[in-house]
Amino acid sequence: MTSTSQATHHGTAYRAAHAARLAAAEHQPQWMLELREQAMARFEAVGFPTARRGNEPWKYTDASPIAEATFGTPPTAGPEPLTVALKPFALPCARVHEIVFIDGRYTPQMSSVPGDTEPLPAGTFERHASGLVVGRLAEAIHRELPQVRAHLSKHAGMDANAFTALNTAFIEDGAFVWIPDDAVVTEPIYLLFIGTGKGDAYVTHPRVLVVAGKHSKASVIVSHEHLGDGGYFSNAVTEAVLGPGAHLGLWRLQRESARAFHVATTQATLGRDSTLTSASAELGGKLARHDFNVTLAEQGASCRVNGVYVTDGTRHVDTHTFIDHAVPRTTSNEVFKGILSGDSRGVFVGNVLVRPDAQRSEAHQLNKNLLLSSGAHVDTQPRLEIFADDVQCTHGAAVGSLDDAALFYLKSRGIGEGLARVLLTHGFMREVIESITDEAVRQHLDTAVEATLPHD
Amino acid sequence: MLLEVRDLRASINGVEILKGIDLTVRAGEAHAVMGPNGSGKSTLAYVLAGHPNYEVTGGRVTFDGRDLLAMSTEERARASVFLSFQHPIEIPGVRMDHFLRAGYNELRKAHGEAELDPLKFDRLLRTKVKVVEMNTNMTKRSVNEGFSGGEKKRNEILQMAVMEPKLAILDEVDSGLDVDALRTVSSGINSLRTPDNAIIVVTHYQRLLNYIVPDHVHVLADGRIAASGGKELALKVEAEGYDWLAEANAPSR
Ligand SMILES: Nc1ncnc2c1ncn2[C@@H]1O[C@H](COP(=O)(O)OP(=O)(O)O)[C@@H](O)[C@H]1O
Ligand SMILES: [Mg+2]
Repeated sequence: MTSTSQATHHGTAYRAAHAARLAAAEHQPQWMLELREQAMARFEAVGFPTARRGNEPWKYTDASPIAEATFGTPPTAGPEPLTVALKPFALPCARVHEIVFIDGRYTPQMSSVPGDTEPLPAGTFERHASGLVVGRLAEAIHRELPQVRAHLSKHAGMDANAFTALNTAFIEDGAFVWIPDDAVVTEPIYLLFIGTGKGDAYVTHPRVLVVAGKHSKASVIVSHEHLGDGGYFSNAVTEAVLGPGAHLGLWRLQRESARAFHVATTQATLGRDSTLTSASAELGGKLARHDFNVTLAEQGASCRVNGVYVTDGTRHVDTHTFIDHAVPRTTSNEVFKGILSGDSRGVFVGNVLVRPDAQRSEAHQLNKNLLLSSGAHVDTQPRLEIFADDVQCTHGAAVGSLDDAALFYLKSRGIGEGLARVLLTHGFMREVIESITDEAVRQHLDTAVEATLPHD
Repeated sequence: MLLEVRDLRASINGVEILKGIDLTVRAGEAHAVMGPNGSGKSTLAYVLAGHPNYEVTGGRVTFDGRDLLAMSTEERARASVFLSFQHPIEIPGVRMDHFLRAGYNELRKAHGEAELDPLKFDRLLRTKVKVVEMNTNMTKRSVNEGFSGGEKKRNEILQMAVMEPKLAILDEVDSGLDVDALRTVSSGINSLRTPDNAIIVVTHYQRLLNYIVPDHVHVLADGRIAASGGKELALKVEAEGYDWLAEANAPSR
């Protein structure tokens, strides 16, 4: 089988890189070394999901361009981290906790916290009056913070996901956010991963761990941005854990280079009466895949999982969501909108599992797609498995083009074809943008999406 | 002469709906177009506004000295033709004020005037909503989304107030309005009338014409103007219905 031979061949290359990385790395606790080794072995055993037949999760997306390429270390991996102009990526608000990674590498001189005029000193770990910790994951591992040991790699399963296994084996700097019990953080926490796009064949493994304590409140945005148009590979994993009564806003912007490969898993695990509000904007990548998995693990947990994807040219963007209603009285709401033009391809697969125990739960899912050209294509599939009987579930999927009646209405008010199409396209995904409860993040994603929408 | 329609014929999906319409509208006039359901009133309104689903198969239309039929929908709007829709369209996600400003600025550009920024336009809109006694908050909502039938009609007239067209074609602006709303909407329309503009009100009922008094009334039947007259023709329709038309027109078919 081709997948096995590829896994073996590339497993070897990744194994060598893994050994080199371990030799060069700073001191690490034993459990971390074991985790890495276990992850590496898992990746070698599973291999990239290149087999299509009978491989449901990768039915619509061909991972072989990633499996067949050889990716090395980033060109910016010199002794001194690179600094870049951050203005294009700035969040439109005065106060923000901002941690910046260039090609996966933490850059303290570009990271800042509210009230600080000085950049964060290298390797430090910021603790705020509220007790909030925002910093480098490697540092948190090094210091063996109990929250890290308790949660890192405990949520994003790597048994069936080679990309998550690979990321785990190669965890480097990464970001760690710990919102202590009862802490209310008003400023957004901005985790910014920038691909320089200098050169093609390199891989980064951005990793984020967010631990939200009980009754805490915070807003975290994870952004994947780019500078140059290289064909690098960004393999990201975000884990978020919400304690009882926690409120977490978790936002994602994926605006990789149009030649880049991007594969990401976001896994959120929700405790009793906690609330996750999220929106993601998938705007970049030649080949991009995002798995958004939410486990409603305890009673009263609820989530809003929204998103938009905008594709053009020959780009391929795949979103899979998986909402696991594991216990009674859990709620999920999902709205995803796709805007596709050129000869691009979009995929949306929305898995919802309501386990036999999960009585009195509610799950709503909606996926709408706007095809702006005859060459664009989308595969949309709701997959609902409902094993409890006392539940409310709805789902809907639609694929269509711009509404002719609406176009005529706009034109009858003097608005030309081009502007009319822009207004309608923008209006189509407005609902998702409006659902973003963090004002600065909403504006930022709105601007990003707007800039990506086709204008003529 | 503001509008001159000569022997206008139009069809949809190969079915001829307008079978030779003649209509002359001068500045300052109000015309009423009445007629039974399906007689082609909305078709006439749509064809004048340039709806792409209709094929004009004959005749000509001159507006303000220009060949209207040669113009695109948006060009007609910019040339100052306005259509108030019988069924206004809901556009989720597009805010009323954004939509209105976009249209308004297109008109200004067409007349070589500078565009209004959001602040200035907002000020303008605040005065315009008074014409139809609409709450300014409504203009922050998505276009017609979740509006009641009456609110949609008010909204059409708000748009007319913003655009200040030379020719407004109002298709069943009275349907779905209660008596109070009808009074508000029609006095709004009347307040927008000047000696330089004209309106064509399309209606099913004479009721509206108590508020907007027409100079000319036309009765459309089966794609033709079966009768024209003064405002007393509307009263005849009110009293006798449309049955007498069939007999009056039978020989010509
Ligand atoms: N898409 C269509 N295909 C065929 N006939 C149509 C279509 N749309 C409207 N018609 C017909 O055109 C005629 C005129 O309709 P309309 O102009 O809406 O009438 P009115 O506004 O006077 O009630 C009706 O007989 C209607 O059935
Ligand atoms: Mg009609």
